[in-house]
Amino acid sequence: MHRRTLGRTYGPPPEGPFALVERGPHGIVLVSLDAAARAAGLRSGQRHADARAMVPGLATAAADRAADLAALGRLAHWCLRWSPGVAVDACGTGLDGVFVEVAGSAHLFGGEAGLLADMRARCGAAGIAVRLGLADTPGAAWGAARFGNAAVTLVPEGGIRAAAAAWPLAALRLDPLTLARAARLGFRTVADLDGMPRGGLARRFRDGDGLGLVRRLDQLFGVEGEALDTVAPAARHAARAVFGEPVIDMAGVAAHLPGLLDRLAADLAAGGLGAGALALTGFRIDGGTTGLDVRLGKASRDTRVWARLLETRGLDRLDLGFGIDALLLAAPHVEPLAATQLDHGAAAAAGEPLNDLIDRLAARLGGEAIRVARPRARWLPERAEHWLTAQGAPPPAALLPGLTSEPATAPRPLLLLDPPEPVEATAMVPDGAPVQFRWRRIMRRVARAEGPERLAPEWWRETGRRVPRRTRDYYRVEADDGARYWLFREGLYGWEDAGRPPTWWLHGLFA
Amino acid sequence: MSVASPRPCSTADLPGDFPAACALLEEAVAAQPANRAASLAFACLRCDPARALLIVVPAGQAREFGRPSLHGLGWSGEVLMAMPRGEADALWVMEQGLKSAALGGVIGIVEGATLTQTRRLDFAARGGATPAILLRARGDGLSAAWRRWRIAACPSAANPDDPLAPGAARLHATLVRQRGGPPGDWLLDLDAAGGVAVATRLAADGASPDTGPDLRATA
Repeated sequence: MHRRTLGRTYGPPPEGPFALVERGPHGIVLVSLDAAARAAGLRSGQRHADARAMVPGLATAAADRAADLAALGRLAHWCLRWSPGVAVDACGTGLDGVFVEVAGSAHLFGGEAGLLADMRARCGAAGIAVRLGLADTPGAAWGAARFGNAAVTLVPEGGIRAAAAAWPLAALRLDPLTLARAARLGFRTVADLDGMPRGGLARRFRDGDGLGLVRRLDQLFGVEGEALDTVAPAARHAARAVFGEPVIDMAGVAAHLPGLLDRLAADLAAGGLGAGALALTGFRIDGGTTGLDVRLGKASRDTRVWARLLETRGLDRLDLGFGIDALLLAAPHVEPLAATQLDHGAAAAAGEPLNDLIDRLAARLGGEAIRVARPRARWLPERAEHWLTAQGAPPPAALLPGLTSEPATAPRPLLLLDPPEPVEATAMVPDGAPVQFRWRRIMRRVARAEGPERLAPEWWRETGRRVPRRTRDYYRVEADDGARYWLFREGLYGWEDAGRPPTWWLHGLFA
Repeated sequence: MSVASPRPCSTADLPGDFPAACALLEEAVAAQPANRAASLAFACLRCDPARALLIVVPAGQAREFGRPSLHGLGWSGEVLMAMPRGEADALWVMEQGLKSAALGGVIGIVEGATLTQTRRLDFAARGGATPAILLRARGDGLSAAWRRWRIAACPSAANPDDPLAPGAARLHATLVRQRGGPPGDWLLDLDAAGGVAVATRLAADGASPDTGPDLRATA
């Protein structure tokens, strides 16, 4: 299996000797340099003091690795336009490369040479200085991008050994220690190592992390495979549209969207699949991406549903920047979906739109804001039901065995206050029903009361609580104005009142 | 005196001229903050219990209003709760719910809906033939609702088992205003199974009071 991969580097536009610096274990060192600084003889990893001695006018700024990583991640997402397999280069000295797996997508751009030309042109238009390398293995592409003779290096198929012979050992992605040791032994180029007996090399260059010289050599020549950690899961089902002229307004996007939706739906229908999620990505001409994703509670390949969900999610709020020149609609999550008849029977019509409604509401408000209630086998009233996010919630029939949504033995209030609100209550006898209580600053006189309903704390779950929960005595009381309340006294007199007198709480309102 | 009828109640089961069928858009105003549960119970009565119910509670009001309880509602269909960030989103959610044919009713706690916004809801409800009930704390202001109710909890009926305990919940439903009809005044008894019955038709619109005692004096 041949894998042709491409490594790329980019840097800031050159303007004067400039370097990013970082505080190292032995003082401040240079991290990355612009062309002028490199031309002046400076190099990455050099001490800042030494560099200032060589180039007194060197301008510096503190390196921000997190920002670099974020920027590289954005660039990597932008590179998804060429292939679904894109990875940030984690093995280089700096955060400066992106791997693009183009094994199956080069033909879309007129072959490998056409693909490289397209990359160079688009990156140039976006103001990104790049060096491109294309080869059979990630290792060779990495080396070609950095040590190839031209800014664009295409290593022909099977030509790694010839192309890499003259590359320095740094092209092997080695750690500095190994590199220094190899230099001490007189190895200068890849060709020097290529003819050496492998056993001896492996013994001499044993690295702690296992990524030894021999392994890198094998990865370079494709003897050993190398997995890339892609930035986005490669969606097997996707539809893309590339535009000749950048689209700068939503009308243009809206015009292209139905075609994309139809193509993706046809792709999924051919496999008997439905999309459980959709991701729309727009590739901006300035090297960024814009996008939105929606989740569906139930897999679907109904393009009308998709279109409405994308619109609800905020299609009109996409940041197009100076325009986008490609759109990618992917279904990152698919589920088997048998073909169904449309509009057949009232039952199907009544069951289906509820899911659609939930998806539509969740697309705008967020999935957390739409909830459905399911009973739970718990003792405390506030835990006896669970408000699950409605998307993907189990159907009501799939309850725990033996658990129904029937009310418990005693009536339960229509509205629960969660958490319960403290009230000041007065009772005739300490463990009796209240005769009056003050809730939200208003004194309410109790006309009639029923209770107590005693609910013990769930002691079998209370392990590790510093202050143990106490028994609750619930009373259903009716105030003299007719309103009905659910009050409880926490703590039993004589049992649980040591140090903490029992307290009264309002937990709910009855109709 | 009250005879419980299983839901859904039909006009035939209820004495008097209580409008049991919900108009497209109605408003229920709780007479006191403590009567919110009563107004929610009344709103649930107006919806189709065999189908899903959507309750829209803006996130800022959830703590104040309380959380609808599944066991307390006793709803046989699915209960959806939407917690949008603001009232504009809440109205949008209600509108979407009304337009979809999946729901048996939409109950929204939206205080500041304007006449235009309620008209939008009315149109949406007309399209999907789903009833919508707005729960509000204040009964003033213009609205396109077909009926405006004022709901108060009343001292309950006598409990047959225990004279000191509250009995079946009793609501005082005042039809403050309705389009194309006279106002009215009813006492409704809710039974434990979720049924409703009209206990007494109170005096309204100048007609003579029915035979039942006028509980407004004692309530």
